[in-house]
Amino acid sequence: MIETFNSLMMGFSVAFQPEVLMYAFFGCIIGTLVGMMPGLGPLAGISLLLPATFGLNPIIAIVLLAGVYYGAMYGGSTTSILMRIPGEAASVMTCVDGYAMTQQGRAGPALAIAAIGSFVAGTLGVIGLMLMAPTLASFALRFGPPEYTALLLMGLFVLAYMSGGSMLKTLAMAVLGLLLGMIGIDVMSGYTRFSFDIVELGDGVGIVPVAVGLFGISEILLTAGQADPPKVQQPTLRQLVPTKADLKLSVGPIMRGSVLGFMIGIIPGSAHIISSFVSYGIERRLSKHPELFGNGAIEGVAGPESANNAAATGAFVPMLALGIPTGPVTAVMLAAIMVHGILPGPMLIQQQPDLFWGFVASMYVGNVVLLVLNLPMVGLFVNLLRIPYAYLYPCILAFCILGCYSVSNSTMDVWIMLVMGGIGYVLRKFGFDLAPVALGLVLGPMLELSLRQSLAMSGGDYMIFLQRPIAVTMLVLGLVLLGLALKPLIFKSKDWRSSVGLDENVD
Amino acid sequence: MTGANEGNVEVKGGLRSDQISGVVLIAIALVVIWFNREFPVGTLADPGPGYVPLLLACTLAGIGLLVAVMGARSQSMAEIEWPEATRALIIMLACIAATFALERIGYRLTTAAFLVFFLGVIERKHPLAVMMVSAGFSIASFYVIGTLLKVPLPVGPWGF
Repeated sequence: MIETFNSLMMGFSVAFQPEVLMYAFFGCIIGTLVGMMPGLGPLAGISLLLPATFGLNPIIAIVLLAGVYYGAMYGGSTTSILMRIPGEAASVMTCVDGYAMTQQGRAGPALAIAAIGSFVAGTLGVIGLMLMAPTLASFALRFGPPEYTALLLMGLFVLAYMSGGSMLKTLAMAVLGLLLGMIGIDVMSGYTRFSFDIVELGDGVGIVPVAVGLFGISEILLTAGQADPPKVQQPTLRQLVPTKADLKLSVGPIMRGSVLGFMIGIIPGSAHIISSFVSYGIERRLSKHPELFGNGAIEGVAGPESANNAAATGAFVPMLALGIPTGPVTAVMLAAIMVHGILPGPMLIQQQPDLFWGFVASMYVGNVVLLVLNLPMVGLFVNLLRIPYAYLYPCILAFCILGCYSVSNSTMDVWIMLVMGGIGYVLRKFGFDLAPVALGLVLGPMLELSLRQSLAMSGGDYMIFLQRPIAVTMLVLGLVLLGLALKPLIFKSKDWRSSVGLDENVD
Repeated sequence: MTGANEGNVEVKGGLRSDQISGVVLIAIALVVIWFNREFPVGTLADPGPGYVPLLLACTLAGIGLLVAVMGARSQSMAEIEWPEATRALIIMLACIAATFALERIGYRLTTAAFLVFFLGVIERKHPLAVMMVSAGFSIASFYVIGTLLKVPLPVGPWGF
């Protein structure tokens, strides 16, 4: 414990350096703006900013990108509450009761509780990250290729179980992503696969063009031509103060949402989106007045907002402890670290303590910055929403092209982005979840390498996965969840999705 | 598929979206298997570069089959609306043109032309606003990303 405290103090000495503080501040502002703008979620924001971090030192790069990530979580709630427009997908549940409160003239307390909940959840999440990541990393030093294979497979099975939409479609998208990850030079044999003589594909398909295409471009293709957003309400500072009753009602949902969100955040998939749906479902079930949900229940804002912020922090646990992303956002952030020659994995915390602890400390600072920044400046931020969408979307498109080109100064990345944008548009029309594609793309090469190494170790015997206790535990856990996910398909029963309000076609 | 009601779900005639999706997934899997034949699959003890892609393609085909088989009660193809399709196509074509132009005429000119097209031709905004946004965005973004953040951006033959 003392060691953790000392490490954290060292982290604060890094986080309080003026340059780091400044970039954390910028990250939070950019994230808030990105989170507020429909069509630019945290993933697109981080992807577009990635090339700009190449010239920065790795600590500053990751602090900046993390600031964008949790800033977007804060920002997304503002548009949900004031305009019923979820700036990013995790804020969908906040729309329901947040906007109902706005219609009742209670936008101020809704915004305040969302910000307080996000702050508490973010801070508790960082404490969880601080305590769990080093322990998990020490444990992961025992992992060999079979354990990594089992871990990655378990992640994919859990993703299928926890997905917001159809389990089969989620698995299909994950496999499609894994196949995309096969493009390029095979590190074990030197063969160049599926590159069709295009030199740039030798290095494989990058996560940035895929992510920007699937999420950014497809969103614009779906929403272009829509009417300009409605008028925005701007609550005054005095109106932002919640009543004692509001605070009392929100304490439970905030604490439950924080714990739940953090735990779900560690699991692969669209954790921050799922966590907000699950939290909403739980709060509605626990409430003495469930009939108020949908009509301006403050618990319906406090729970989901806390959950999605805690999930955003929870996602950093496997990323920093194991070097394994849980979703597209952490995948892009891993790419940002690797650009600087740092190898993510269990040794990261030992080899780069200033990076890990500086990052953890910067998240404490970032949460305070967001709380201080967001509430008084909410009126200023919502002015951004007055920009007509007709002006906004061409600029976002230009940014997408610029961002993808800048990653490796190649138009090939822009072509990949456009292809993925078109594919993403069609897939969303057909009710497919796109996050597993991006996740599969990153996990593909890892899974292939560890599987082939495991088979080489065992002389081709798949029993190696059943002979090693850690691997077999993870596989059994994954298969149990896969079985649970298959149960409603086979027996036509209801699964957890229906109880929390997620239908089959949530994308 | 017959137009009869199954429980509470009204099943209209015609192809269902998941049936089409399943068939497309199987087709993708077959294409991968076809191109994968160039790479040695190896043995279980020494898997080759074609081993995992083959495994994944077979898995995808299996999932595609399940999606198609279980898709009889999914949304009808006729129910999927495409009101934004024309606009989406125009956006894609404009992006393709911009990508072609990027390294040929430089970032600033490409971006300015791209924005003039969208704001002036598609959205029919006031010419002054179009000029200001197009020129302002292309110059400012080049300055921030290219000059301040030192990310190399393409410059055209005329030096800008």
